[in-house]
This record gives sequence, structure tokens and C-alpha cells, in this order.
Amino acid sequence: MTSTDTRTPRRTTPEPQPPDLGVLGMLRWAWRQLTSMRTALFLLLLISVAAVPGSIFPQRNIDPGRVADYLTRHQSSGPWLDRLGFFDVFSSPWFSAIYLLLFISLIGCIVPRAKVHLKALRSRPPRAPARPERLEHHASLTTSAAPEQVLATAREVLASRRFRVHSHDAASVSAESGYLRETGNLVFHVALTGIIVGMAVGHLFGWRGDVIVPEGQKFASSISTYNTFSPGPWVNPARIPSFVLTVDKMQADFIQTPGKTFGQPRDFIAHTTVQARPGAAAVPEQISVNHPLSIDGADVFLLGNGYTPVITVRDAQGEVLYHDATPFLPQDQTYRSVGVVKVSALPAPKQLGLTGFFLPTAEPTFANGPASVFPDALDPELALSVWEGTLFPGGMPQSVYTLNTEAMKQVTKPDGSPVLVRLKPGQTYELPGDRGSVTFDSVKRFAGLSVRHDPGELIALVSAILTTAGLILALTLKRRRVFVRVRQADDPDGRAATVVSIGGLSKDSDAGLTAVIQAVHDRLAERTTAT
Amino acid sequence: MTPETLANLANNALYSSMVVFTLAMLAFVAHLSARAPRRAQARASARTDALVAAGVGAAADGGTRDARDVARDRAGEPAPGSAAYGPESLRSRQWGSIGLTLTYLATLLLVGSVVLRGVAVARPPWGNMFEFATAAVAAVGVAYSVLARRNRWEWLGVFIVTPILLVLGLAVTVLYTEAHELMPALKSYWLAIHVTVAFLAVSLFTLGAAVGAVYLLRRRREVRPSARPGVIESLPSAAALERTAYSLNMGGFILWTFTLIAGSIWAKQAWGAYWQWDPKEVWTFVIWAVYAAYMHSRATAGVDARKSMYIALAGYAAVIINFTAVNLVSTFVGMHNYSGM
Ligand code: HEM
Repeated sequence: MTSTDTRTPRRTTPEPQPPDLGVLGMLRWAWRQLTSMRTALFLLLLISVAAVPGSIFPQRNIDPGRVADYLTRHQSSGPWLDRLGFFDVFSSPWFSAIYLLLFISLIGCIVPRAKVHLKALRSRPPRAPARPERLEHHASLTTSAAPEQVLATAREVLASRRFRVHSHDAASVSAESGYLRETGNLVFHVALTGIIVGMAVGHLFGWRGDVIVPEGQKFASSISTYNTFSPGPWVNPARIPSFVLTVDKMQADFIQTPGKTFGQPRDFIAHTTVQARPGAAAVPEQISVNHPLSIDGADVFLLGNGYTPVITVRDAQGEVLYHDATPFLPQDQTYRSVGVVKVSALPAPKQLGLTGFFLPTAEPTFANGPASVFPDALDPELALSVWEGTLFPGGMPQSVYTLNTEAMKQVTKPDGSPVLVRLKPGQTYELPGDRGSVTFDSVKRFAGLSVRHDPGELIALVSAILTTAGLILALTLKRRRVFVRVRQADDPDGRAATVVSIGGLSKDSDAGLTAVIQAVHDRLAERTTAT
Repeated sequence: MTPETLANLANNALYSSMVVFTLAMLAFVAHLSARAPRRAQARASARTDALVAAGVGAAADGGTRDARDVARDRAGEPAPGSAAYGPESLRSRQWGSIGLTLTYLATLLLVGSVVLRGVAVARPPWGNMFEFATAAVAAVGVAYSVLARRNRWEWLGVFIVTPILLVLGLAVTVLYTEAHELMPALKSYWLAIHVTVAFLAVSLFTLGAAVGAVYLLRRRREVRPSARPGVIESLPSAAALERTAYSLNMGGFILWTFTLIAGSIWAKQAWGAYWQWDPKEVWTFVIWAVYAAYMHSRATAGVDARKSMYIALAGYAAVIINFTAVNLVSTFVGMHNYSGM
């Protein structure tokens, strides 16, 4: 219809109008669309495509550092990707929209099907067709046995194969099996909603706290003592457990034999002493990767480890300004670690900040900058630059692992080159210009612990198991109907005979049904001719 | 024996299995070419055969089937009329049998190699990409070996053994890693369960994808018969292939569901959260959702079986991406990158 006609055609019939559904009708129509199998299919494909960017772009929930890094490297596209949610794919509006639609569609699907199935569970197998031999799977035989006897045998054989059997008339038997298939299917789909509910409960009522505890130190759990604490929106702060945990020793073993795996970790174990609440009996506990500690409804995981050099900073008079086991965060497999010392005991423009590296087994030349050659503390060294000025300009809060050098200047030697403090354990560095000294006393390991509580977990786990069970039922069982009809006839010799016709029907392709038909046939043949 | 000798032994078994797989592949090729009708004979009867074949294909898709059809499908024999092949030639059967026997032997060697390596490193032998790839194709070999004779799947041999060889070639050249211990996060029996089931699932998906690809070829010939029928016409009917692929994918899907659950239980132990959308988890989910879509599409009225098969093959593409790119490419860095590469 590309040509345009200059004459106006006379309208003989009105243009087809969409039926006037009204608001309610439209809603009903939309609901039916949403809950159709086609939509479910489409949404499943859509959600799998939508998940992919979450594996390609760095995600804030996994590694915010990498997201920040990506943003600085992609100045033009980065902010747009960020606005579109590509760094928080799984909490982005578009991803949420898809899974919510899927969830609604799922429920909209389950409810009517559950009703239909409940009815089917209470119903009888349908009336046998007039000619069962016309069905997809079929067999027939002629026997001398009486019709009643044939039907009785058929009933017996089918019942023993867990068919539900019923006779609508005197000349036939109807049988049906595989109701569990649809039950399994419904269990599967209901359990899927269970998993989603479990995840939602975990999101709303779960919480997580991360903390770094150096060897020999005590950690008392409470909202304010974690380094970072992330509660779900409906968490009751009063319910945070108040256990006390001491890290006695953080054991870390690395592969020392040369080769491709040199330096790879072998084992991490945190040896701890735990009191369920302040004042309770102290119990020794080991926490290792894959073996969390459960305490008071929370689980304590060992997720990281590293080094805390013990550093002392003194003023020119020898007065101690700073003395602490300072965590340095590992950056790579060799545990080259970065950290910061903030000497805030001094007045504002004279405050000191030290920032740099801890190297467990230092590569001595620093030819390619500070580097470590092995993750174990075989030859530890500190390499720090020194800054002077105001540590917290404007009193803004900041991370303990970064130094804000906005209002600071790097301390230089008299010749103008920047000061680089390099220390082995036990050594002291005298800062230029009467600024005092820095001492590297010793080094300890720290345990990076993550404490988590997820009340939705059990719901999700039980649902997941039900999902699998339902799936196995739904996919392996077959819904089958078998009909047997008998007809009286005379055999060629004029004796009375019964013609038996067996037919079977299955919803899906079902090679096993043939075997059932065959079995019924064989039993009828052997039983009824034997008499 | 020292771990080094064991590891060497494992490597030797691996190389031997590659040699035997190569021979098996040649035997399967000979089998397929012996299946094809002789040209002259084929040309004479091509037209009528093709017409009959098309008619039967349609009937088998939706029409009536009797017990004989079903028995034939199970036996993997061609549908009646698919170019008047009659019984398979003796030569073809012999080659098929040789191919199968060689495959059993090669699979045995490969499984032996995996086991030896496991003993050498004193842990489940799938701690890095090399071990993972070897164990995965060993699982495919086992699955095929177990199912092939019963189902008369000699014709499928080439489509299974060739990819196995490709993966093994890649494994020994690009991916090879010396035997070594596992990172602490990988020391868990949930890992053993999770990965074992994943291997089984992947081996079924692989068989399903191979049969699915053959189905697409077969079906195209049924819809648009070729003037010169060949190997493809000698294969089971498209409808039978489609059902076989479905059963395999269904088995794979059940096992994949289990893989997903076991994986999240392990993740909970190792990282403290059962699901946090790390790239490996994302792809595990993607695979699961795509195969779920395949199951749905197959049960949805009005969706062509060919389209469903495309969805299943897309799912298999995701399986491949999951086991290659996600392990190797740095854009996918997550918590799962223990691959030792
Ligand atoms: C969360 C997303 C969903 C997933 C992962 C999923 C998965 C599955 C799977 C694996 C099957 C195969 C089991 C079988 O064949 O018996 C299936 C079947 C089925 N699903 Fe879903 N489903 C989802 C949502 C839905 C929705 C929203 C609907 C309703 C529109 C639905 C309706 C059905 C129906 C009717 C069957 C039975 C097909 C048959 O008779 O074989 N599903 N589903």
C-alpha cells in the first residue's frame, strides 16, 4: 500500500477499532500480558542480558576502589556510565525493574495454576476416547478372556504403576499419572519467590561490620567499634552482639619453594580468644578461610590479613607523640602495603603526616620504586615520605588509610630533596629541622575480620533446596494418560473374543509411555490367555 | 612416588589420550563418510526421497507416532524415507565401533591423568585453568562414553571428540601450570561438590549443544531438501535430535541449578556472603537464566523449536564465556580469580 490515491475512497465499513476495554479491561489485559509464558520467556532473556554489564564494569559493592580508578581513567564516558547505573548494576533501577516484573509475573502465574492444579488433583481421569488405538501411543490385542476380566487386569496393572484409575463406563478404563509433575513445577516456581523473599529479608534486616585487629589487640563488638559498619534499613542497633575478641596470633603461611607459585598463600588462620559478652568466660577459637566463627547470631569471617608495623614518633625532646601498631593495607600478592601515620598530637600547622609503604621482604635497591619480593616478613622495611601542615583541613572526616595533603607540604632535606624515611625494625630516623624522630619498633600481623548477620539466609537456603527438588520432579516425571477399551467380537473360528485397544497420551514427547503401553499389553496377553 | 613423578606421569597420560582421541576422531570421520549413500544411487532416488523425508519430518514433529518410531529414535536410526538408506553399511558400523572403542580408551587415559594429578597435588585437581579445562573435557568424554553405545551415537563422535581435542591442545600449550597447592579460599569440600557438579552439568550441556547444532543442520535439510543427500540425511530425524538435545539440556539444567546452590553455600563460607554478584556469579546466573528461558520457550505454544534451540546454544555460549573469558580477562576481576594464570 505505497501508492496514494487522489480520489477519496468512500468508506463502506468503519475502520477497525480496538475494542473498548475501559480502564479495568486495560488493566486486565496488561495483567494477562505480564503473566503470559511469552513474557516470562522474554523477561528471563532480558535479565540475563542485563546482568552482563555487572561483570564487565567494576562494581561498587565489590570493589569501590576500582570504580574510582575507572572513573579517573575515563573522564568523559565514566560519569555517564555512572549515571546510568553501570557501576551498581544490581541495585540500578533498570535491573530492579526487570526482576520486579519477573517476580510479579511469577506470582501472577503461580496463583491461577495452583488453583487449576488443586482441582486436577481432586478430579478423575477423563473418559476414554471411543478409539484409543488412534492415540499417539497405542497397542491392541484380541483375547478369549471376558471383558470384565480384561478391564480388571488393566486396572490392576495401571494401579501398580501408580496411575489413578477410573471407569466411566462398563467397557473402558481411564488412567492418569504424573500429577506430581505439576506439583513439582509449582513447588519450583513458589520456591523461586522464596529465594527472592530470603534475599529481601537479608537486605532489610542484615548487617555487616568490618574491622582490622592487630595481633595482641582486643576488639569489642558494637556499632561504633567497627572500621566500617553497613546495616540494612530495618536493623535494630540494640541487637548487635557485644562479644569481645582478641587476636592472639595471625598465622599466614606462604609457598617458599621456587617456581611459578612462589609466594602464593598456603594457609591463613587467626588464633583468637573470644568472650560471648564482656565479662563472660574466654574461649580459644580458630578462624580461618572457609571456617567462620559463629557467635550470638553473627558469623565472623577471616577475609584478609596484613601487617601492622609498630611506629613511634617523638618530638625533638624525645617526648612520644605517636605510638601505635598501624595497619598497612596489602596491595598485591607480595604484600607491598600502603599506610599512613597521622601525628595529630601537635598544633595545627605543625602536624606531621607520614605516608608510604611497608615491604615485608624488601627488594633492597628500590630500582623500580619500593617493592617486596615475598609476602612473608623475612626482611621488613618501611619507606615513608613526610608531610607537615594541617591534617584535617576544615575538620572534615577522612579515611585512616589516606593522607589529605591539601594543606600540607612535603618535608625536605636541607638540600631541597624530599625526605624518604627508610627503616628496618629497631631503627630510628632523625627528621631534619628539629622535627624529632621516627622509630620502627617491630612488626605484627593483623587479621581482617568481617562480621555478618543475615536473617534471610535460611529462607533462601530452604527455598533453594525446594527449587531443586521441584525442578527434578517437574522435569523428570511425565503426565500420562492411558485408556483401555474393550469390544466384543467373534474370532475367525466363531468363538467369542474380546478386542482390547490400549492408547496412551502424554503432554510432551515421552518415549517411556510406549513402555507402559507395552507392559499393559503384555500383562493382558499373558494373564488373560492363561486362563 | 614423589609428586614430581606423579605429575609427569599425569602429563604423559594426557599426551597419550590426545593421540588416541586423534585416532578416534579419524575413525568417526570415516564412520560418517561411510554412512553417506553412494553418490550414483543417491542421485537416482534423491527427489522422491527428499519429498518423503520432508513429509515424515513434519509428521514426526506433531503427528502420530507409534512404538516403532520411538524405538527407532532411541536407536538413533534415521527416520523412514530419509533417503532410502536401508540398514547402516557394515563398513560404517565397523568404523563407528572403532571410534567408540578408541574414545573409551582415550577417556580412560584422560581420567587417569586427572586422577594422577589430583594425587600429585593432594587435592581435587581443578585449582587452575589448566586443571579445570582438562577435568572438564574428561567429564565430557565420560558422559559421551557412558551414553554413546546405548543410544547409538557414533554419528555424534566427531562433534564431541574434535572440541575435546581443541581444548586439550589449548590446555597443554597456553594454560599449562605446574602442579601446586591451592589457595586457602579453595580448600573446602563444598568446592569439590560445587565443581564436580559443575563439570557434570557442563558435560551434559556440551553434549546437548552438539546434538542441538546437528539438529539445526538436519532440520534445514528436512525443510529444504538437498538435491544430493549425504551424511546429514543419514542422521536421526530432526524431531528425534531435538528431543535428545532437550533431555541433555534438561539434565544439565538440573545439575546447574545445584551447582549454583552449592556455589553460594561455599561463597558463604569463604567470603561471608552467599551471593554478591561477583563476575563468576553473574555468569553462573546468566547461564541459568538463559537455559530457564530455553525450557520456557520449549513449553510456550507458538515458539518454534528452532528458536528454542538458538536460545539453548546462546546458553552454551555463556557456558564457554564463563569458563574462559571470565577466568582470564582482567575486566572480569572479582573474587573468583584464583585461576593461577
Ligand atoms: C523467575 C523466573 C522463572 C524461572 C527461572 C522459571 C523456570 C522454569 C523452568 C526451569 C521450567 C521447566 C520446568 C518444567 O518444564 O516443568 C518452567 C516451567 C514453567 N514455567 Fe517457569 N520460570 C520462571 C517464571 C515463570 C513465570 C513468570 C511463569 C508464568 C508466566 C512461568 C510459567 C511456567 C510454566 C507454565 C511452566 C510449565 C511448562 C511445562 O508445562 O513444561 N514461569 N519454569
